[in-house]
Amino acid sequence: MRKMSYKEKFIQMNKEAKATWIAAAIVIVFWWVTGFGIYAAVGSSVTILGMPAWFMVSCFGSWFLAIALVIFLIKKVFVDFDLNEEGKIMDVSNKDDRR
Amino acid sequence: MNAFLRLSPVFVFFVILLGLGFYIQKTSADARAKNYSKDYYIGGRSLGGFVLAMTLVATYSSVSSFLSGPGVAWQKGFGWVYFASTQVVAAFIVLGVLGKKMAVIGRRTDSVTVVDVIRQRYQSNTLAIISAVVIIVFFTTTMLGQFIGGAQIFSATTGLSYKAGLIFFAFVVVLYTTVGGFNAVAITDTACAVVMLIGMFCLGYAIISKGGGINKIMATITEVSKTATATGKGFNMLSPTAESSGVASIPVQLFITQWMLCGVCTLGLPQSNVRCLSYKDTKSVHSAMLYGTIVVGAMMVGMHMLGVLSRGVLFEINGSTDTVIPTLITNYMNPFLAGITIIGPLAATMSTISSLLIAGSSAIVKDIYMHSKEAKGEEINQKKVGRISLTVTAIMGIVAVCLAIKPPDIIVWINMFAFGGLQTAFFWTLVLGLFWKKANATGAIWGMIGGLAAYCITMALGIKVSTFHNIIIGIVCALIFFIIGTNVGKPVDEKVGRLFFPEKY
Repeated sequence: MRKMSYKEKFIQMNKEAKATWIAAAIVIVFWWVTGFGIYAAVGSSVTILGMPAWFMVSCFGSWFLAIALVIFLIKKVFVDFDLNEEGKIMDVSNKDDRR
Repeated sequence: MNAFLRLSPVFVFFVILLGLGFYIQKTSADARAKNYSKDYYIGGRSLGGFVLAMTLVATYSSVSSFLSGPGVAWQKGFGWVYFASTQVVAAFIVLGVLGKKMAVIGRRTDSVTVVDVIRQRYQSNTLAIISAVVIIVFFTTTMLGQFIGGAQIFSATTGLSYKAGLIFFAFVVVLYTTVGGFNAVAITDTACAVVMLIGMFCLGYAIISKGGGINKIMATITEVSKTATATGKGFNMLSPTAESSGVASIPVQLFITQWMLCGVCTLGLPQSNVRCLSYKDTKSVHSAMLYGTIVVGAMMVGMHMLGVLSRGVLFEINGSTDTVIPTLITNYMNPFLAGITIIGPLAATMSTISSLLIAGSSAIVKDIYMHSKEAKGEEINQKKVGRISLTVTAIMGIVAVCLAIKPPDIIVWINMFAFGGLQTAFFWTLVLGLFWKKANATGAIWGMIGGLAAYCITMALGIKVSTFHNIIIGIVCALIFFIIGTNVGKPVDEKVGRLFFPEKY
């Protein structure tokens, strides 16, 4: 668990969010390239475990790739920190003004 | 005898779910006496990684992933699995992008609902009320759709009438959700997700063994595809776009919008977002990203692939493709295994309903009722909140069930807009709200109303851009209105800025 100030946590969370978007983009590109790409190149003639290669690589491949990327994210990018701010609760709704 | 064997695992499962509901009500009595809404609506921020992942996945996987989706896959082939596999990013994207920020801000502001966070960020009561109303309308109609689907599976597989099935199965889900609150929803979701996986494996085993192995099944599918290409009857099951008479039945445009509707934009669904407020610590959210991705992929790719492979067992069907899975379960499985497999789609339905019900109830009780009390400066009695929360949850469930007995057309119609509508309304409100400091209330209100109007009107009138799904119209219009509104409206005050964007100061 890393000790961080409120501000440092937000800098870290922005970094994590950006990394998540990049991971999602990689999965999406892989999915398009392998699915439509393999089908355009060889149709359904090549098979893996009896099923069309374009399907196996794009569907199972994207799934495995997503898992691998998530493991990378949580091991290398994401950081453990305390979600609480020493029990502080801050209400910005200016209740007194409305009373 | 067979019907009894088929029903017994279902009964046992229902009894377990009810038991969990009442057990959790008992164990959380102390926490509820202190802060009722925090315990009842988000389980006192106590979820661990596994339960968080399962409840998130169970909320995604609804009646369509177990019934209509695989049914269409039976007809169209591998292209439909490819189409459904876009959901693999859903679990990690919502937790990775919004998960921690919602959690940190939720704790700092003591927020219990997504609308609480929106209210704190934009400081607008109007926006909060609109958000709560959108949630209530779309959640109720979606629940209704799930009740109808669940009751149909129940009656198709057990032989009970639709009405009897509906009342029996709705009674169980409404009761355990009402008494157990969010914690019961999360735990029962986990149980549901586990039996969904077990059901899927039983079904997979039955299909492959009855079909005489993968190679024999694939030979049938190849034959069907050849006939389709030659005669124009049916679909090419081996192609990503599933051509029929040379025309793509799943055009590329539809794949693009599917990535929005079931992939990226699921980030905006309040029933998933509320889970970001409910977990314990950063370790939980990290492991939930991993477990969630594993399970959502297994279910989406797995179930739809089974739909395709079932073509090798079931050559023809009577009626709609929705009957494929129930027919397989009742005719091709040993009754006891069938009973376990039936729980799968029922569990998918129940877990979606329970999540919507508890979040919908929170919109009424926490976002509207309790807020108006607080605004008047009135003292909040925890016991009274408890009574009201239970009553509202029960009534909301009962209303949806009553409507499902004879569904009015208007509601079936609204249900079609619900999924995309929720995304249109909340995607930018949350993403821009948490990542763009300039975003303000005027922008959010304009984006929400403008986007929803554009989405619903074009859906209703059947106006389309090429063959894209209308979600693209909703999301793009919402963004444009949001940006214009933000430039017109007042800038956010410094207090909010420092709370939501401390890194900018």
